[in-house]
Amino acid sequence: MPVLTPGLVHTPVTPFSHDGGIALEVYGKLLDFHVANGAQSLALPMHIGESVSLTDGERRALLEFAVARLGDRIPVLAHVSESGSAIAAELARHAEKAGAAAMIVTTPYYWTPPATMLIEHFVAIGAATKLPFFIYNAPEEMQGARITADLCRELVAKLPNFAGVVDLSLDWQFMIELMTDAPRVRPGFQLISGTELMVSPAAIGATGMFAPLAAIAPRMVRELYDLCRAEKLFEARPSQEQLAALRQSIKLGGVAALKAAMRVMGRDCGEPRAPVLALEAVSLQRLVSELEAIALLHSEPRGW
Amino acid sequence: MQSPVTPFTDDFSLDLPTFERLLDFHVRTGATAISWPHHKGESLSLTIAERKLLAEAAVRVVNGRIPVTIHVSALAVEDTMELARHAQKIGADGILAITPYFWTPSLPAIEAYFVRLCRAIELPVLSYNSPSYLAGVEITGALMSRLIERLPNFAGVKEASFNSEKFLEISRAALSSRPDFALLTGVEYLLPSIPLGGVGSYSAAGSICPNLCSQLYDACMQGDWPRARELQYKVSWLWLLFRDQYPSSLKGGMVMMGRPVGPTRPPLPTASKQRQSHIRSELERLGIFDSEPHGW
Repeated sequence: MPVLTPGLVHTPVTPFSHDGGIALEVYGKLLDFHVANGAQSLALPMHIGESVSLTDGERRALLEFAVARLGDRIPVLAHVSESGSAIAAELARHAEKAGAAAMIVTTPYYWTPPATMLIEHFVAIGAATKLPFFIYNAPEEMQGARITADLCRELVAKLPNFAGVVDLSLDWQFMIELMTDAPRVRPGFQLISGTELMVSPAAIGATGMFAPLAAIAPRMVRELYDLCRAEKLFEARPSQEQLAALRQSIKLGGVAALKAAMRVMGRDCGEPRAPVLALEAVSLQRLVSELEAIALLHSEPRGW
Repeated sequence: MQSPVTPFTDDFSLDLPTFERLLDFHVRTGATAISWPHHKGESLSLTIAERKLLAEAAVRVVNGRIPVTIHVSALAVEDTMELARHAQKIGADGILAITPYFWTPSLPAIEAYFVRLCRAIELPVLSYNSPSYLAGVEITGALMSRLIERLPNFAGVKEASFNSEKFLEISRAALSSRPDFALLTGVEYLLPSIPLGGVGSYSAAGSICPNLCSQLYDACMQGDWPRARELQYKVSWLWLLFRDQYPSSLKGGMVMMGRPVGPTRPPLPTASKQRQSHIRSELERLGIFDSEPHGW
């Protein structure tokens, strides 16, 4: 089965123009920016890339555009989550044909399936292609739906291309249990930190990191990632704390805050699509002053 | 740091001689501090009089060899206050207190509680943050900062969220206001916490495998991550084994290690013979019998 070590994965936003359409020209610039600023792979469109607000046609077009733009510079992980297993499997097949290097899937939207149904869902999608298959464990984004180490154990047995978990549960016990077991059964099985809180996952054995904040602070993100990969975990604490502070500033406002912060950094990607609202004036003011107070941003790249 | 279980005789009454032996065992096998009675010590199944009696025994037996802190959390805050004053009177080195039970208190209520507790005694006070057991009630980073500013003896936290973001929220807030604030994890999650400023943990498995616990702590403090990882996987696997009806299975495992401490008080079950033999085979699989002390 194909092996992919995604490493430091940037997760680009999706830029929209004033008429609400995808601003492909800006997207091209954004992809180039990520490549030039430390990304080893891209995952798109993740939730921060407003995957759920894109039509099926747009998602496919976006992926095709990204793969063409990136050429052989860095690999693309296609996010193919959907509510329905068959719809997601269809997206996965498209991703493979379009040239994605891997697929990434979270629990089905809206439904609250028990473990057996989750396994069926993941198997239906994972078996649809030969691409490496990553599960995105994000209970915070998925109304509490989470995967367990037991579920992963079963999936390893059922899916030869199940390559790893991108963890946003931030749950130490889950990560430890997963890494105690899965890599023994499947050598090369990967734990990837789902956000820029990488020190603890790295201690546990994570080899990669998803980084939405790379849109704002790619240098600090890369520094944290490099220190973690070199197992310099004590040394990584200062950059970890700064990125945790940045994450806290952005988190409440989500994609609206991230896009606002990108505008502050000179990389305007428009506003989020409905139903997400742009930040209100007061929140925007607070965010801008918080960002100005974060010293690290002064050494981050401005503009494209 | 070890938090001993509470030994009972077959009729569920306190077994003081075994408690004394257990304390001594922990001190001899590398504990850096003793703290009693955590939930693992069945604190909430003990009367206030029993808690005072064994607290006195703990201070007496440890006899200054390592620090002793007393866990004072009780259902009634008035009992908590009484236990805190008692701990100070008998010469304990500090107390530990969780956010109040049952009422799902608001942040101002939690603040008022710790202010009252810390001002009632001069001992260092360690707080205990356990949102997953207390309906999400937790001490936020901002509240930690406020408590540190207001209370000179607000000295640390037993953190039991076991979550990267929660830990960082608290560590960033607390260590910037008080650099020697003690960040401890509830059970042995040393590997993910020590690189972020953690300084230790309480131990779940220390009465089974004290050597393993000490080795994990040393490997983390030395930054030997590959070794720490192997040890952490092992310790965390034991936590999975023991956390079921905690501390019933742990007490069952102690029988296998030649250190029987009697039953668990209801409503918790006592580990059955079947459960005990399951634990035995798991301990064998992990090589615990070869590397850890048997008997007292």
